[in-house]
Amino acid sequence: MATQLTVRKRGLAPPEGRRRSPLARRDAVAGMLFVLPCFALFLVFRFGPAVAGSLLGFFDYQVGGSAKWRGLANFRRLWHDPVFWSALKVTLLYALFAVPTTIAASLGMALLTRRGFRGVRFFRSIFFLPVITSLVLTGAIFRWVFSAGGPWSTVMGWVGLGHTAWLEDTTMVIPALALVGVWSRFGYGMLILLAALQNVPRELEEAATMDGAGPWQRFRYIVFPQLRPALFFLAVIETTMSFQAFDSVYMMTSGGPAHASYTLVFDLYEQGFKYMDFGYSGAIGLALFVMTLVVALIQRLILGRDT
Amino acid sequence: MTVVTESRPRRTGPGVQASADAARRRADRGRLLRRTGRGLVLAVMSVVALFPFYALVILSLKPAEAIHFPGSLTPWHLDGGAYSTILGAQDVLRWTLNTGVYSIVSVVMVLLLSSMAGYAFAKKRFPGKEPIFWSFVAMVMVPYHVTLVPTFILIAETNGVDTYWGLILPTLANAQAVFLMRQFIKSLPDELFEAARLDGCSEWRVFVSIVLPLTKPVLATLGIFVFLWHWNDFLWPLVIGQSPDMRTLTTGIASLNQQNVPLNQVLAGSVVALVPIFLAYLVGQRYVQESVAMTGIKG
Repeated sequence: MATQLTVRKRGLAPPEGRRRSPLARRDAVAGMLFVLPCFALFLVFRFGPAVAGSLLGFFDYQVGGSAKWRGLANFRRLWHDPVFWSALKVTLLYALFAVPTTIAASLGMALLTRRGFRGVRFFRSIFFLPVITSLVLTGAIFRWVFSAGGPWSTVMGWVGLGHTAWLEDTTMVIPALALVGVWSRFGYGMLILLAALQNVPRELEEAATMDGAGPWQRFRYIVFPQLRPALFFLAVIETTMSFQAFDSVYMMTSGGPAHASYTLVFDLYEQGFKYMDFGYSGAIGLALFVMTLVVALIQRLILGRDT
Repeated sequence: MTVVTESRPRRTGPGVQASADAARRRADRGRLLRRTGRGLVLAVMSVVALFPFYALVILSLKPAEAIHFPGSLTPWHLDGGAYSTILGAQDVLRWTLNTGVYSIVSVVMVLLLSSMAGYAFAKKRFPGKEPIFWSFVAMVMVPYHVTLVPTFILIAETNGVDTYWGLILPTLANAQAVFLMRQFIKSLPDELFEAARLDGCSEWRVFVSIVLPLTKPVLATLGIFVFLWHWNDFLWPLVIGQSPDMRTLTTGIASLNQQNVPLNQVLAGSVVALVPIFLAYLVGQRYVQESVAMTGIKG
């Protein structure tokens, strides 16, 4: 028996499906039973909704089970909906502010806490704290931070940028939300990049130092090439996250002032759950999905050529 | 901040000696400067990272009418009035209970289901194994907001709105968890399982007394990850828990925020919701940070 098992492990056993020992059959039955609960859940709550989600935009749906085929009507409406285009612009603008700043902060903090020194774990833990807290729970305090006469407007006043309350200003509301996004995300990127930095061979860097390479050259020619895959991963993840930013918008601005922070996911949420227009909400969801895919492909072309 | 002077082999000759000393002094000064700079940047970033939490706690302990900057940020003249108001209203306790049920039931179920499936995918042979596994993993690609409305419709049509099962059940199909468990169990030697089965252990016994104990470290990592995710979850509880009784802490606090409840009470509610997260982080810090490296890079 023991030899038979080792033989099978090496892949020399007869192909599956033919002569099956009782033990192998028991194995198969047990395997299927162990997967079954998960499989059922996936079928009902992942595959089903994924298929339905990609079709929803083509229907009108009322609770009670009546679905009406609308063809491209929802998408045509989307195309002519100024709120949608404004939401698209707001979403892209938010990503444009939030993603590069988050990655820069992540990279900076990863490089600074890379080598072991006293207290390095302490700093890493502090930087990760915002990542594990929901922006719903910190939303109220951030609203105060950015309020008129609050800490942020006071500090901005000191550096001569005026005392405006950023959340009530149509141009500054997105940078304000993006800053909150950076605060809540840079610790995550830092940990991802720290893991990637472990792959940079130390001898190589030391050799470069001996040869007179400065910090910038060492970063550019030795560290950065090793970080490329991780940076690509981060860029995709952070872009996806920024396209989906919802908690902070809901808590801090509700899309205002004057739709200046009305993002696509907020639009999707309001169409679906405020106006109960599920079909239209589905069309927005599909548009958002396509947008995420396209941006990921572009990022791949720029950053991920050899990853 | 101390300067570490390294002893280096010295070359002979007075001229060489002097220039080497000068070079080293310069290098030392550069290093000191760099370390001071690093310390400064890290200190500033720590203040940035922690300030909102500090303000959150302090302002929750100040009377709402008098909140202003910077005078209100002083850590004295504190009073817990907001807490007694907010805890006196039954709602917050109910929301805490709901959040606890949502998080804990989900953690237990996700760990159980994903370790069962992960074990089967890693060590069993059955028809369709690979396609099923990879179709699970592919589901990670489908964004949350595409499935949100259909999942809501499904739950609404089966009268699951405002119920615990409607809240919990759809969140249990966790592809990342299955993937993680499968990867880990795959690395365990086959002989362990074969030996137990040849000794006549039932399949369930093998799972309970061999697989589960051996996967403890991953289960801990995954458990904390799933706990944090559910505790912080917002959008799903928001659409599924519509009556005030079925709110979780996040959706409850959001509702306070929208009802113009005084700021210190909203903040007190937030502090109540944050305490378990900080405790979980304190206990499982290592696991949390590991889970990022694992789920982040591979998932």
